[in-house]
Amino acid sequence: MNIESMNEGLHRLLEKYLPGKTALLETDAGIGCGAVLKKDGECVKLLPWRVERRFTELKNLTENGTLEEVSTLRFAVMSAEESLRQLLYRELDLCEFLGKSEIRSAFAVVSGGRTANVLIKLADGKSVSIECSAALPEKTSPLDRHEIIARRGIACDRVVDTQVPQSSIYLFRDGEETRYTDVDSELYGLENKEIWIVRAAFAVVKTPGLAAQWNRTDRILRRNVESILNTEESGKPVFFQEEHA
Amino acid sequence: MKPVKIAMASLTHGHTRKYYQTLLDNEKLDWVASCAADPRAREVYALYNTGVPCYSSMEEMFGKHPDIEAVVLASANDRHLEEMRECARRGVHILSMKIPTFDMTEYDEMIRLVDRAGIVCQIELEMHYNPVVRRLKELIASGAVGKILSMQATNITLSPVWAFPWQGVPEASYGRRIPLKEGDPRFRGGALCDHPHIFDLIRHLTGSDFEQVYSVVAPNLRNELEVEDMILCNGRMKNGVTFLFDPSWSRMEERLKVPAPGWEVFPKRMQVDVTIIGEEGTIVCDCFGPNIYHNGAPNDRYTVQYTYFDEWIGLVDEFVDCIRNRKIPKINLKWHRQTIECMNACYESVRSGLPVTLDEQRRG
Repeated sequence: MNIESMNEGLHRLLEKYLPGKTALLETDAGIGCGAVLKKDGECVKLLPWRVERRFTELKNLTENGTLEEVSTLRFAVMSAEESLRQLLYRELDLCEFLGKSEIRSAFAVVSGGRTANVLIKLADGKSVSIECSAALPEKTSPLDRHEIIARRGIACDRVVDTQVPQSSIYLFRDGEETRYTDVDSELYGLENKEIWIVRAAFAVVKTPGLAAQWNRTDRILRRNVESILNTEESGKPVFFQEEHA
Repeated sequence: MKPVKIAMASLTHGHTRKYYQTLLDNEKLDWVASCAADPRAREVYALYNTGVPCYSSMEEMFGKHPDIEAVVLASANDRHLEEMRECARRGVHILSMKIPTFDMTEYDEMIRLVDRAGIVCQIELEMHYNPVVRRLKELIASGAVGKILSMQATNITLSPVWAFPWQGVPEASYGRRIPLKEGDPRFRGGALCDHPHIFDLIRHLTGSDFEQVYSVVAPNLRNELEVEDMILCNGRMKNGVTFLFDPSWSRMEERLKVPAPGWEVFPKRMQVDVTIIGEEGTIVCDCFGPNIYHNGAPNDRYTVQYTYFDEWIGLVDEFVDCIRNRKIPKINLKWHRQTIECMNACYESVRSGLPVTLDEQRRG
């Protein structure tokens, strides 16, 4: 993660859309996205997947009537670089973000300390499955899939009949395949993960109320990650009380 | 920097609605007015609740807002010359739709008008502001595939004619009623006129211009149209690069009067796929992918939900930069002329049944 380039991108966005506003990204070694925003003397935990376009578009489909009566969310995530806790942190937040309901209970089966298969119930009755693996071989690109199943319609961030993410460009040369997926003209040159962190930081500056909301969500998520992973030892599902209200 | 006072005119072009959010969001712009070509365009404009006043004519709009500095001419192709004359007379900068005109005499008048008035005239070829295309350009420029041998590309979409009827009217789209070829009941003005992007892109990617083009039309998918909807082209650039282009309306659509969810019948309503074959490598590229996918309302059909692409942001940024800093847009009238010439040559090839050499056409 190149924090200097990310701050340059954030500065460009602020200068263009919110002239006079300032903020700074700093790396963060704790569980989360890998960076925090420093703004007006406060430290804000960022939830960049909440501004990532594929997730905002999926959420739109659940809110604009394209999907009707969502029943189940099916998520999968596999990574060579991120820890099991980091992966679960993001996916648990996406459960509530896309499911539009709080997590009420969960049960995980964990293997080797690097994989967890989790079943979740949301407060409104929806079910969620999360296939979570930090055991991808080194140098393998991350894989993920987010599917929303409703009485009317299914939506997914992966195209039907495929198992791995598609790219925009494939370069074949010297027996090798190189892939490129560029998704943001204004932040061109940053890695995709960096782009969504910058966009999340911009969102916080633009909508200051997000800072307290995301910091609170971060605290709940960190606790939930540990509680859910502990169900492996307890052998029982964990139940959560209403917390976000 | 003082925001540019901008307006939109006519509002009948298929890309009209794509400007609204960008014009409202960009702090370097002050969108002050719009004018509609007809009552229907005005009704559709009202659906989007932009909060920007809409007038019935350019004259009325300029009368109410004499400080307008720039106009997006979102009009049918046959309206462009008259509107450009009006803007040039007033010294107002122009953002033109992708086909200024197919009439090369008119085209040269446009160049003279813009030069004399000292205004910016940018042509809307939004693909240049697509991040995938930017990467493609960089890869090729860096020699990723070595010397280019050939390029294949699609610019295939649904047909917009049911929402934007002028695109099916030969006079409004092509500028005149010219039969495709002897014995063919159809006229110039269909799918080809809607899809200049790949003809432009190959010039940028190869740094060369068209040597020769050959083109064929197929039976229409839509019997009601009097313009072509299925057309293929191949040819050669001056530097030897060969190409094969499909600029058809080969993706079927619901016949909506206003674009809305459920417009597409085929899951992906717009595909710009580019293949570049070089001596040292090959690139395959989907300029509008990946996305998200669903089979929900309104028609329960599998559908590509376009997810990432905001070409109009960069396009408008460049327009503002050119106005304020007296720059010449990347896609200007003089650059674009040879793209339009090649598209005319495609029609000429359809008429004659023979390849057309561009230099001969210019001399002829």
